Amino acid sequence: MALFITKRLLMALATVLVVAVLAFLLVHAMPGSPGAVSLGAGATQEAIDEVNQRLGWNDPLLTQFVRWLGDAVQGNLGTSLIDGRSVSADLASRLPVTASLAAGATLLSALLGITLGVTAAVRGGTADRIIGAACGMGVALPNFWVGVIFVYLFAVQSSIFPATGYVPFEASPQDWALSLALPVITLAVGGAAFIARQTRASMLEALQQEHIRTLRATATPTWKILYVHALRYASLPIVAGIALQFIQLFGGSVIAEQLFAMPGLGQAVQTSVSTHDAPSVQGVVVIATVVVVAVNLVLELATKFLDPKLRAS
Amino acid sequence: MIPSVAPAPAGSPAEAPAAGAAAPTVSRRPALTRFSGSKLFASPGSIAGVAWLAAMVAASVTAPLWLPFKTEDQDFTAVLSGPTAAHWLGTDELGRDLLSRIFAAAAGTLGTSMITVLVAVGLGTILAMLAAAGGDRTESVISRTTEIMMSIPGTVIILAVIGAVGTNIPVVMAILGILISAGIYRVMLGQAKSLQSQLYVDAAKVDGVSMLGISLRHVLPGLTNTIVVQSALIFAVGMLIQAGLAFIGFGPPIPQPSWGGMIQSASQHVYDAPWLMVPTGAVLALTVLAANAIGNALGKSPNATASHLPSAAARRQRAKAVSAIAAASPVNPEEAPAQDQLSVRNLSVGVDGSVRLVTDVSFDVERGTVLGLVGESGCGKTMTALSLLGLLPSGVSVTGGEILWNGRNLAAATDKDMEGIRGREIALISQEPMRALDPMFTVGYQLTAAIRRLRGMGKAEARTEALGLLQKVGIVDAERILKTYPHQISGGMAQRVAIALALSGRPRLLVADEPTTALDVTVQAEILSLLRSLVKDTGMSVVIVTHDLGVVADICDRVAVMYAGQVVESGQTAGILDNPRHPYTLALLAADPHANSAADMPERLATISGQVPQPKDWPAGCRFAARCQFAGSACAAPVPLLPSGSESGLVRCVKADELAVEGLAWVPTEVPTHRLLDVTPKVMTVEKDLA
Repeated sequence: MALFITKRLLMALATVLVVAVLAFLLVHAMPGSPGAVSLGAGATQEAIDEVNQRLGWNDPLLTQFVRWLGDAVQGNLGTSLIDGRSVSADLASRLPVTASLAAGATLLSALLGITLGVTAAVRGGTADRIIGAACGMGVALPNFWVGVIFVYLFAVQSSIFPATGYVPFEASPQDWALSLALPVITLAVGGAAFIARQTRASMLEALQQEHIRTLRATATPTWKILYVHALRYASLPIVAGIALQFIQLFGGSVIAEQLFAMPGLGQAVQTSVSTHDAPSVQGVVVIATVVVVAVNLVLELATKFLDPKLRAS
Repeated sequence: MIPSVAPAPAGSPAEAPAAGAAAPTVSRRPALTRFSGSKLFASPGSIAGVAWLAAMVAASVTAPLWLPFKTEDQDFTAVLSGPTAAHWLGTDELGRDLLSRIFAAAAGTLGTSMITVLVAVGLGTILAMLAAAGGDRTESVISRTTEIMMSIPGTVIILAVIGAVGTNIPVVMAILGILISAGIYRVMLGQAKSLQSQLYVDAAKVDGVSMLGISLRHVLPGLTNTIVVQSALIFAVGMLIQAGLAFIGFGPPIPQPSWGGMIQSASQHVYDAPWLMVPTGAVLALTVLAANAIGNALGKSPNATASHLPSAAARRQRAKAVSAIAAASPVNPEEAPAQDQLSVRNLSVGVDGSVRLVTDVSFDVERGTVLGLVGESGCGKTMTALSLLGLLPSGVSVTGGEILWNGRNLAAATDKDMEGIRGREIALISQEPMRALDPMFTVGYQLTAAIRRLRGMGKAEARTEALGLLQKVGIVDAERILKTYPHQISGGMAQRVAIALALSGRPRLLVADEPTTALDVTVQAEILSLLRSLVKDTGMSVVIVTHDLGVVADICDRVAVMYAGQVVESGQTAGILDNPRHPYTLALLAADPHANSAADMPERLATISGQVPQPKDWPAGCRFAARCQFAGSACAAPVPLLPSGSESGLVRCVKADELAVEGLAWVPTEVPTHRLLDVTPKVMTVEKDLA
């Protein structure tokens, strides 16, 4: 087990490092030097060169990367070329927004998805067909389209939820929840459909296992076969599906944040890509990767714990 | 990004990021479905999908020829209009025709999404074939790399790429393809490895076919179906992601129309012109739905047909069928058999709405005796046995006849009634002990849960009882076994545990479905002697399904030989083995290497040519006639089961008397030399391996 955790930790570190290199290279391929981006149009070449010199832009790539990495490890991701603010501080204030959004959407997707998937597998017949069709729609409808429709229905037609904006949890937990409602529901449509399909398939596969017959042969009540034994057997792929969903929702928040004007990481990456703000792009890529890899690691340990075969080895 | 960057094909459980090791059982074989175009047209959904996609492609390619307006034409008399005669789908905020803009953007959307498909599926397939062909090290390197690719936030990376290369859609879509290829690789790897490990691939290697040749000739064709399925699904993902990027402002430059961009500008007018959302959203969603429908139609769709616990809907149906049977044949108390005697009368089992698998089967099992059901695979033995417990698989049910047991007709019992009988009165041991136990729970949990349920014992008491049962089935270190998971014990040990589990409710009848087939020979003998001593000690009866005449000779008091869903001969074991009356029994004995003593072992062991006919091909007359060495014209008429003359024996053969008088033997047939290579003799003892 210790070996497994060490291995996984090393894998996670390697992943983050690979992405850091990738982000560094991508950022360097961006058009415009930091000086040009920072000073904007109309700056003299001398001024631009001076800024570039100060930022070490002309140093060898490796030197620059090592310097960036050294700072990053100490929590310093540089300063924004646009407004001169600390990237770390900016991202630290944005992380809770995206984290609430992604966690909320994953949670809702999982709850809805597992319920629908189990219902479809267990009830069969008409219920199965209706849920199947709904999931097909849920997977196919683009979430930005769904989001706009939700805004139209729940914020414009009836003002149940605020259409846009984000209220920090510290300011007002109730408003925080309300401000998250629409984006979370929007993201959960596709997520729940995906997890429901995964759950249905896993449950059906579990019910095809021969030990289900043994359980019936020893008069195990149906509810126990379904919700203790089959669901337990199906839990591994379901948890894997949820982990996958979290990664996608964390990334998918870019659209939801734009749509609902939420100051999260997605909005940061969108703005900084548009403005060629190299340190911000690099910082956001690395932070997003760290979060996703960390959550993945936790879920992987959970999977490991769920499977007796893996736990024992 | 949008719904799914990493493809988890609808229907097939996505494997855990912890690689293949996460699969809870060893027996999850990848289903290698061959690609067949006809499957595309098998469901209304996929027909509609193909039609829609074809129409979209045709319309977008020919768009310049038929579009009513240019994309930039502005009609200021109709700004933000709904559908009109001039503008079928309405106009946007600049009075531009939506229909024209949607279809002007279609070719680019579909085309660039294909780039993602080609890169993702191409790269994923190549990586999978490389990993499968290249051995453990190559596979490990590729797998680690793809694991990294799958655990990074793809959207953010794509946006960073856009920062570097700009909104160059083809390049962005190609890089998206690279990110997605990791998921495709995961899906393909299992299949590629399974194909690579086929014996004919080994043969090709021996013949000197190169690695590349093997991959292209033997592995790639087997992957075709998955490639098509994944392509369809990734095509949908590509379209959604592309539209999503355009929605947040990373689409084609501004005046140029794109679906995502159009939805974005429509969303600005959701307050004053909500209609604007509909046309573009609908076209995008329908195109995605169409691609998904094609993928799902060709993919392995999970269904409930092989389920061991029918769905609620299926259970309701069965309950109806059962009450019909109950109404048709009420139990006559005067005919009721003795206590603990099982009497099966004219039992028929069939696939719902289709063929019958078992017809008109009757037998009795007296208290404390062992009945063997013998025959080749596909003769209905297992279905007969499972019907005794009401555990027929989904879609299969008893269609007629009676199963009389202690005053009740089990063929007409509801599932609720059966729950009271299963485990307590009638118990089951199945063929593969490792798969019969729940891999997720310890032996101790499974055993004590059953004991508590069936015997109403408390926790501590049940544990003591479990220990006692394990010792009773010959397990020495019962304490340790209680704490183990099924995968930690051997097959023979698992079968002992399964027997202990079956005994936990003190049943009076044990149904054993090939209990020794999956075990090696020495263990087989131990399990049989265990069963024999259990019968002696507890006085329970046993119905044992087997294809092994050695087992029959060893343990059975009576035998019913089944062929193609019928009992063809039944009677006392000794009588049948020594003096078989039905040609099929005769042939089985002649084909059994153990039944012939070493001294008179024939040079060539007899075989039964041909195969058991499929249920749909069963003739009206003798079902064995086509393979019988003694068949004549009389065999074409239906044959009744008649007394064979020896004790209570019955035989279903018009020539039984003739054969008995003439003392004929089943003769080994000469195999023509030119067929020597491709014959697979249907020797009874090996048929289970082939099945």
